[in-house]
Amino acid sequence: MEEKKEVSSSNRGFTIGKSPIRATRASAEALKDAAVPARPVIDPNDVVVPDGYEVEVVMTGLSFPTDIAFADDGTVFVSEGGSSWPTRPYMPARVLVLKPDGETEAISMNVQAGPRGIAWRNGELYMCLKGGYHMQIARYNLQSGELNILIDKLPSGGWHEPGGPLFGADGLMYFGNGSVSQQGVILPAGFTVDMAKHPLAHDVPGQDVTLTGNNVWSRDPLKPYPYLTETGAFKPFGVPAQKGEVVKGELFCNSAVWRSKPDGTDVELLAWGIRNPFGMALNEEGELYVSDNDFEEKGERAVANDPDRIWHIKNASKPYGSVTTPDWYGFPDICGDGLPVNHESHLPLKGKAAELLLQDPPPWAGPAAFLERPHSCMCRMDFSKSDFFGHRGELFVSEWGTLAPLNSPRPEDLDHGFRVIRVNVKDGTAEPFMHNRSMGPATAQGSGGIERPVSSKFSPDGKSLYVLDFGVCQVTKGAMFAFAHTGVLWKISRKEGYHAK
Amino acid sequence: MQNNSTQPVRIELDKACREEQFDRAEAWFKNVQLTQASFRQLLEDTVEKIEEPHIKDYLHTMLEQARAHETQAEALFAEIGCTPSAVRATLGEFLGKGRELWADIIAFSGSAKGPWQDLQQLYIANLNSMSAFAVAEQLGLALGIPAIVEITFGVIAQKSTDHLLLQECALEMCSKSILYHESF
Repeated sequence: MEEKKEVSSSNRGFTIGKSPIRATRASAEALKDAAVPARPVIDPNDVVVPDGYEVEVVMTGLSFPTDIAFADDGTVFVSEGGSSWPTRPYMPARVLVLKPDGETEAISMNVQAGPRGIAWRNGELYMCLKGGYHMQIARYNLQSGELNILIDKLPSGGWHEPGGPLFGADGLMYFGNGSVSQQGVILPAGFTVDMAKHPLAHDVPGQDVTLTGNNVWSRDPLKPYPYLTETGAFKPFGVPAQKGEVVKGELFCNSAVWRSKPDGTDVELLAWGIRNPFGMALNEEGELYVSDNDFEEKGERAVANDPDRIWHIKNASKPYGSVTTPDWYGFPDICGDGLPVNHESHLPLKGKAAELLLQDPPPWAGPAAFLERPHSCMCRMDFSKSDFFGHRGELFVSEWGTLAPLNSPRPEDLDHGFRVIRVNVKDGTAEPFMHNRSMGPATAQGSGGIERPVSSKFSPDGKSLYVLDFGVCQVTKGAMFAFAHTGVLWKISRKEGYHAK
Repeated sequence: MQNNSTQPVRIELDKACREEQFDRAEAWFKNVQLTQASFRQLLEDTVEKIEEPHIKDYLHTMLEQARAHETQAEALFAEIGCTPSAVRATLGEFLGKGRELWADIIAFSGSAKGPWQDLQQLYIANLNSMSAFAVAEQLGLALGIPAIVEITFGVIAQKSTDHLLLQECALEMCSKSILYHESF
């Protein structure tokens, strides 16, 4: 099958600019009778946080929001829309702006999949955008309106997400790019979403790898009749791999994490083999941690009981420009616990058991800094750097929540996630920080609490934690439905006079 | 926006914004009615023309479902506080008759005999109405109204099943109609 490596010459970038947004103010009381049937009540009183903290609502009506950023003056930016999870319906791709004086506006862009990660730096907004065969990192100057595409060669077009961008105290930009395949090879399930638009997309390794030739047989959704086809690792759908075949590693790969100068030059590959490095955070020591999501227990290469995890990216602590070999964190063959996908503890109840894809894989860079229950879906996160807020040095992680029973047949997986946890990355332990009175999404319980936390970021002064709630996404054994206008931006602050431990 | 920065901001949830989008959704729901009525009318007439007992049975079952789907298309309107359009349903029936005429023209020019071309037109008409329901479903998700999705999801699933059946029958019987000039 033909390769699709470069951006089409017809792609000249996208239009972007500031525009008004239809925003109104509502009393907290009015939110108990919200205008959206999918999420009829929003009530901070239904959200549980530790003693000494209080919860308030900052924004409602958000449509599939993905990330939060702050300017130094306290302006809040929220990315939303595009085609996110699942990829329909498209809602306007934009970044909402809430200024300290309460005024609002939107930075609207004519781009299909939309902004997935945002960061503010020196008056410019940096964005990771998914869509098409390549993930992009763009920079938008808030004063001049100038848009620059800094990086557009990151192979994408499939299942997983961009990570970052974020900036370290070293002035460097850190970013990630998730795998194209969901389970290590491209499978028919992908053709209900992104693969329908990008049938030539595939994973790309960060180092030379030799393949076992363990291809995966599946139905071929591209054919009018139920033909079967064979697909190999790091190949487009329907292309088998050969035993002993070597696939060259590339700087611009996926399931990977990089750093570069802020203008996107001098890119350095730090790590690969990270299935979905959506959440990235640097602590005060400059150590980089990345969240990663587990394999699914379904389909033609199913893996059971793979824990969600947070990796310490040790190469980020080396001097910039000195990393000659990226670390490998296990995808597509090693689970979060360090065991191979075909280990008996990972054999699936649903779907066909996975076989190993890599022959003589690179050394594993684990163990993980923290392991979480499968399908908790840890997402964007931030370190507390404030004694005033408390828990300084701990990592506050959004857990979007499980897609069981769609991606796992196990009853115990049904309520994993749907909360914010604080993780001690030094000893690998965690405590819940923000959750509903019963575990699970609020609408399933008839409460006005949280649904699916997707990003947690501290305000520039470190005194408040903003938690972005993706909104309502209902899941059945065979489908998922995400409802627009159900996203919420929550703010958690320490109560006056309370002294954190 | 009124500047009362202590209160939460609501994005595109004011009454005027919602009603504007409901009006636009209502216009599409009328299209759902039209395409489904058109499909049902063509199906009603095609069932009568077919003699082969199995295909006649398949289509008769499909017709009962199509009538139920037409009722479900009407139910969409209540979810946004509107009422269905009698005009669009009538126009849809008229378009269904028009497709039969079109089928006759194609059959004549394509050397096909019997009701096969009606079957082929049904295949296209079902796809047309299925995609109209699918768009309504996306509008339900975009408006945050689960009841719209609850109505449409089952209809789309059934019409998707019908699509496979119509495709199979149309492709299966084309040789009898075109090469042998026989009815069925």
